[in-house]
Amino acid sequence: MITTYQITLKIHRYDPALQKHWTQEYQVEAGRIMRFVDVLRKINDEQDPTLAWGSSCEHGQCGTCSMKINGKPLLSCELLVENAVDFFNTTTFEIEPLEVAPRIRDLIIDTEKAYERVDRVKPYVIDPAPADHDDVEENQISPEDLERYVDATRCINCFCCSSACISSHRTFLGPNAMLAAVVRVMDPREREKQQRLDVLYNENGVYRCHSSKACSFVCPKEIDVAHFIALAKEGL
Amino acid sequence: MSNALSIRSTIHCDVLLIGAGGAALRCGAEILEQMPTARVIALTKVSHPQKSHTSTAQGGLAAVDPKDPMDATIFHMFDTWKGSDCTADQNVVKKICESAWEQILWLENRGMHFSRDQQGRLSKRTFGGHTRNFGEASVYRAVFEADRTGKGIMDTAWGETLKRGITFINQAIAVELLMENGRCGGCVVFQQKDGEFVRILARATVFASGGSGQVFQVTTNCRQNTGDGLALVLESGLPVMDPEAVQFHPTGIVGPGILASETLRSVGGILRNQAQEPFMEKYAPKMKELAPRDLVARAIETEIREGRGIMNPDHNIEHVWIDLRHLPQEVHEKQIPEVTSFFKRYVNLDPRTQLCPVRPSNHYHMGGIPTTMYGEVQDKNQGVIEGLYAVGECAAASFHGFNRLGTNSILELITMGKLVADRVVEVLAQTPAAASEMTSSHYREKMSGYLEHGGSESLGQIRFELRALMTEQVSVFRTKAGMTSAITRLHELNRRVTQTKISCRDLKMNQELVQRWELDNLLAVALAIAEAALAREESRGAHFRDDFPERKDEYNYHTLVSMDRFGEIELGRREVDMSVFEAGGEHHEQFSIIERKY
Ligand SMILES: Cc1cc2nc3c(=O)[nH]c(=O)nc-3n(C[C@H](O)[C@H](O)[C@H](O)COP(=O)(O)OP(=O)(O)OC[C@H]3O[C@@H](n4cnc5c(N)ncnc54)[C@H](O)[C@@H]3O)c2cc1C
Ligand code: SF4
Ligand code: SF4
Repeated sequence: MITTYQITLKIHRYDPALQKHWTQEYQVEAGRIMRFVDVLRKINDEQDPTLAWGSSCEHGQCGTCSMKINGKPLLSCELLVENAVDFFNTTTFEIEPLEVAPRIRDLIIDTEKAYERVDRVKPYVIDPAPADHDDVEENQISPEDLERYVDATRCINCFCCSSACISSHRTFLGPNAMLAAVVRVMDPREREKQQRLDVLYNENGVYRCHSSKACSFVCPKEIDVAHFIALAKEGL
Repeated sequence: MSNALSIRSTIHCDVLLIGAGGAALRCGAEILEQMPTARVIALTKVSHPQKSHTSTAQGGLAAVDPKDPMDATIFHMFDTWKGSDCTADQNVVKKICESAWEQILWLENRGMHFSRDQQGRLSKRTFGGHTRNFGEASVYRAVFEADRTGKGIMDTAWGETLKRGITFINQAIAVELLMENGRCGGCVVFQQKDGEFVRILARATVFASGGSGQVFQVTTNCRQNTGDGLALVLESGLPVMDPEAVQFHPTGIVGPGILASETLRSVGGILRNQAQEPFMEKYAPKMKELAPRDLVARAIETEIREGRGIMNPDHNIEHVWIDLRHLPQEVHEKQIPEVTSFFKRYVNLDPRTQLCPVRPSNHYHMGGIPTTMYGEVQDKNQGVIEGLYAVGECAAASFHGFNRLGTNSILELITMGKLVADRVVEVLAQTPAAASEMTSSHYREKMSGYLEHGGSESLGQIRFELRALMTEQVSVFRTKAGMTSAITRLHELNRRVTQTKISCRDLKMNQELVQRWELDNLLAVALAIAEAALAREESRGAHFRDDFPERKDEYNYHTLVSMDRFGEIELGRREVDMSVFEAGGEHHEQFSIIERKY
C-alpha cells in the first residue's frame, strides 16, 4: 500500500495590496489519508505561511472550505489525498476559489457577498402561524409533510452548487437560494405566501434554471437540488 | 506599519455581541424582539454566522415537555446536578430547566425543522444521564433535528436576527476589551477583510465566543475555538472559573478528532492496542468496553503512555484501534451507518474489514468566564462588571459544574441567551443613551510586537508542541509530576513564541497575524487550565487526578484563576450555589452532596 504521495498543487493566488494574480506551485509529500485542509495547513507550516485559505469545522458541516479542485467544486475537508489521486487520476491538482463572490486573498472569497443572494429570499418565516393553542403547544407537522421538504433543509450554504450552476453567475439567485425559498413555501408554519412566490418566480428565480442538474451532481450533502427546483417550476 | 495598526474608525451601538453562534444569535434575536430600534452588532471570526461551531452539534436539546406525564422539571434539575458532580449552581440549574420548554417553542414557532413523531409533535430521544424519578430509568427528554440539531438552531436564530435587522461583521476579531474603572465599554476589533482596526463602543458587550478546544491536539472543536474570550478576560485582569473542567470524549477519529459515537462500544466494538490485545478487561474486568466514558478514556491514554499505542504517520498522532470487524453486517448497516461513513470519508477505512484509529478527543469546556445567573460577568470578588455579559460555552454561570450532560449545552445557549437579553434590555432602559468614550491601551503594542519580532521559530511547530503537550499531560490523565512539567514547558513555549516572524506584511486577511495572536490565547488558556488542575488535588467530574482519584468535600467550590500577565497566577474561589437544597422544599434532599454513580 502506498503511504505517501508526492503531489503538486497549483494554487491560484491573489495579493490584494499589489492586485496581483498568479499561480504558485507547491510540491508536498502528503500522507495518503491527509485531507486537503491538512495539506494546506502543511504548506503553511512548512513552506509558505502567507498562503491564505479558509475552513472551520473541518468535518463537512459548515461549508467554509469549499474550493475548486481540478475544476470540481467540493469541500476540501472531505477530500483525502489518495481519493483525489484516484478520482482525478493524477498527482497534480489545480486549486481555485469558488467564483461566486469577489476574492479577498488567495483562496478566500467574500462569502457574505455570496450570501446576499440567500438573504434576498428571506431565509426565515416571514409571518409565523401562531402556535396551536396555549403556550405549551408546538405546531403539528406530520412526518410525511416534513419528509417532502426536509432534504432541502440540509443545505449548509457551501455554494458548490452555485459555482457549478452555469446559469447562476449573473441574474439567477442560484440553486441554494432557491432551496431556502422552497423550504418556506412548503413549510406549513409560513402564512406569507405571496412574497415567497414573488421571489421564486421573478426574473432572478427558478425559470433561470436550465435543468442541467449540475447542482445535484456536486452537492457534498447529496441533496437532489435540481429536484426541488423542478418542483418549484411545476408550481410545487 | 505602525500607522496601519491605529484605529481607523469608531462605531457606536447599543449592544455588541462578540460571537455569532447559537448563544449570541438567541440573545441578539430576543433583544431585537423587545427593542426593535436597538442597534445590535454581532462579530464572528468565521466568514458567516452560519459557519459558527454550534452548527456542528448533532444529538439534541434536553427539555422537559410539560405534556409528558413521565417526566418532570425536577428530574432534569437532579440529573444536571448529579452529572455536574455537585458543582453546578442550583439557582442556574433551576432557571434553565424551568424555562427549557418555552425556548423549544420559541425555536419551533420560528421555523426550526424538528424531527416529528406520528402525531406531528416533536420527537424525543433518550440520552446518557437523563432519567426520571431521580435516576430510576432513562427518559425521552431530548428533542432534535435528525443529526443536525445545532444547525437547526443556527439557521432559525440567524434567520430571526436577519429579519430584525442585526448588523453582522464577519471575519472580525475582538482583540481588546475596552475597560475603565471596572466598566466595559466595547472592544477593539480587527476587521480582517479590510485589514483595519476599529473601535466599537457599546452600551452593553456580550461575550459569546464559544469554546477553547484547539488547546488540545485531538479535538472535536472547530479551528476558530482558540479560547479568545477567556484570554481577553484574563488580560483585562478578570478571572476565569473552573478552567480545569474540560470534557473529553473517549473515541475521536484520529487525526481529525471527529466524534465516533458511543454506540460503537455499545454494539460490541472492541478496543485494541499495538499488539492488537483487547485491553479494556485489564481496566474494567466486568464492564470492559461498556465502562463509563471517563474510565474508557483513561484506559486508552494509559495504553498510549505506556508505549502500546500506534503512531499514525499522516497526522503524527498516537492512537489505539477500535475493532468492529466481527460485528454482523446488519449491525454495520442498521446501527452504526453514520460512524461507518465517517471512517470511510475521513480516514478511508472500512470498519467492516479494517481496524479504525481512535483517541480521546477534547469535546467541551465546562469552565469559562464567571457570571451571575443573568450572565453578568464577575470580577475576582464577585462584583458585577458594568456593561459586560457572557453566555454560551465561553461562560460559566455555572450550569454544568465539572461535567456536562449531553444535550445540555445547546439548551444552555437558548435559555441563557434569552435571560441575558432580558437583563440587557432592562439595564439599557435605565442607563443613558450614549456609550461612553474609552480608549484602547495595549492591542497596538501587542500587534506591532508580533510584526516586528524576528527569529527562526515556527508558529506551526510551537502550536503543535503546545497542543500535543496538553493532550499528553493535562487531558484525561493528570498527575502532579505531569502537570508541573507541562507548566514549565508552557513557559518555555511562551518564550520561544517571541522568536517567530510574520512573513506577510499586508494586514488584509493576514492569517499569520491572527494565528500568532491566537497562539498567545492558546498559551494563556492552557496555562490557566494546567495551574487550576494542579491545584485541585482531588478528582471531580471530568477532572481526574491519577494521584488523587477521589472527590473531596474540602474542594466543594469553583476555582477562580486570574493572570494579569502570563504566569502571574492568582487563585481564588467561588461558593457553589445550593439554594434548591437550602430552600428545603419537596425532594430537596436529592440536591445535597451526593455520589455521582450510575
Ligand atoms: C461535534 C460536536 C457535537 C456536539 N453535539 C452537541 C449536542 O448534541 N448537544 C449539546 O447540547 N451540545 C453539543 N455540542 C456542544 C455545543 O455544540 C457547543 O457547546 C455550543 O454550540 C457552543 O455554542 P456558542 O454559541 O457558545 O459558541 P459557538 O457556536 O462556538 O460560537 C462562537 C462564536 O464566537 C465567534 N468568536 C470567537 N472568538 C471571537 C473573537 N475573538 N472575536 C469575534 N468573534 C469571535 C465565533 O466565530 C463564533 O461565531 C457538540 C459539540 C461538538 C463539537
Ligand atoms: S439544474 Fe438548474 S439550478 Fe441546478 S445547476 Fe442546472 S441550471 Fe443550475
Ligand atoms: S445545496 Fe448542496 S452544494 Fe448547494 S450550497 Fe447547499 S449544501 Fe452546498
